[in-house]
Amino acid sequence: MKYDYETPRKWKYHNILAWTAFLTVSAALYLIFMWVPNEKIQGPVSKIIYFHVSSAWLAFFAFFVVMVCSIAYLKTKDLKWDIISHVSAEVGVLFTTIVLVTGPIWGRASWNAWWTWDHRLTTTLILWFIYVAYLMIRSAFNEEEKKARFSAIFGIIGFIDVPIVWMSIRWWRTIHPNIVSSGGFAMDPSMVQTLLASLAAFTVLYFYLLEKGIFVQRIRSQVELLKQRITEENS
Amino acid sequence: MNTLNGIRAIIWKDLASEFRTKELLSSMLIFAVLTIIVFVFAFDPTKDIVRQVFPGMVWVCFLFAGILGLNRSFVSEKTNDCITGLILCPVDRSVIYFGKMTANLIYISIVEIVTLPLFAVLFNYRIPLKAVLPLVLVIFLGSLGFIAVGTFLSALSANARSSEILLPVILFPIMVPVILGAVQASAAVLAMAPAAEWISWIKILAAFDAIFLAIPLVLFEYILEV
Amino acid sequence: MSYLFAAYLAIWILIFAYTLILGRREKQLQEELFLLKKTVGRNKN
Repeated sequence: MKYDYETPRKWKYHNILAWTAFLTVSAALYLIFMWVPNEKIQGPVSKIIYFHVSSAWLAFFAFFVVMVCSIAYLKTKDLKWDIISHVSAEVGVLFTTIVLVTGPIWGRASWNAWWTWDHRLTTTLILWFIYVAYLMIRSAFNEEEKKARFSAIFGIIGFIDVPIVWMSIRWWRTIHPNIVSSGGFAMDPSMVQTLLASLAAFTVLYFYLLEKGIFVQRIRSQVELLKQRITEENS
Repeated sequence: MNTLNGIRAIIWKDLASEFRTKELLSSMLIFAVLTIIVFVFAFDPTKDIVRQVFPGMVWVCFLFAGILGLNRSFVSEKTNDCITGLILCPVDRSVIYFGKMTANLIYISIVEIVTLPLFAVLFNYRIPLKAVLPLVLVIFLGSLGFIAVGTFLSALSANARSSEILLPVILFPIMVPVILGAVQASAAVLAMAPAAEWISWIKILAAFDAIFLAIPLVLFEYILEV
Repeated sequence: MSYLFAAYLAIWILIFAYTLILGRREKQLQEELFLLKKTVGRNKN
């Protein structure tokens, strides 16, 4: 193995990315709170939807990235793919947590129940468990190579499992219909635009967090490498 | 033909070593029966509500007993580094998976054959005669899905520091469709509901089984990589 | 309205907590790296 003493440097555009994330999120916030009208039936609470839906989409995208990078890792055995899928899973769990926290708050405000076993919320909950399991696999192995290999395998089957979970939960709910229905939300064009803006903002935020996380992981592998080197020299 | 012989040899090896010690099957059986006792204490068997939760209890019992067996499945190969011997066999790696999977399926079937009548007796639950055949189908498909993913993930977690804790945590979220499908289908079958009500569950179970029996063909060799 | 406030508060707390954790991890690792490099440099001479 070649020893690379070069300290990992921040990506050239790191600061630009950070500022873009900050500005787009602020713009989205402005649109949500200042510009877009309230939904007629639900009132101001309906404004939760913009970040709720955006984080759900980004969580899903993050887990898709996990799967793609897992496949790439198994094919190439290049640890850089492993780092990307690890960080992406972490950010995905963060976004899933946001969905799971804001979902019940919205539910409580608009149909007076914290939790409904509606198929979207339930699938998100299972999704959260699957990727927490992914992170637990990562912490259960010491060797870098094993950690990368086994978590990549789990990252692939976890994502394959998602559509089956979704279908079975949907079928389950059609047999036991909800007392309160969660559908139906008439979207004004200005609401669609705001939703798209917050989706864009969260996408930039995702890439910012991903980039930062990857940088931290690269320093970590550098530290591990140096530690190994020192033990070798001393022995 | 070599593949089938290989699978048969691994099943035979597993069963032979199991029937010599009987450590796994006996603890699975005793644990399953203990679970029934816990349920009897937790839900008064004379109450009517028991009829509604009966399928759920049966499956919880099967899954918990099954986890015991799955936990040992690959960990037991680590003593004397038997797993290396298995890897060195001149067969495809997925043969090892299918052999192990079938052996586990045999164990859980034995547990199910023993505990299901016990459940019916202890809870005074009459299983309609006409429901027996569909029920067997549902239990078979459910157990197959459970064991298919379970064996795969047990091979994965066997290398971890604390595999007994890791396996349930990573297995249960993945097999949510199996739990849902098996419990719902069993409930419908036991209630003598028309076939239309449970046939979709059978389909979901069958699809899950097919997918998770196909995945190891591709991915199992990565688990056993040295 | 207070629900809306609670929801956005939760979102920001989560995101900021994560960024803070990332930043702290980075700082610790940078310090560790610095120390290790010094040790390696000393061993070389």
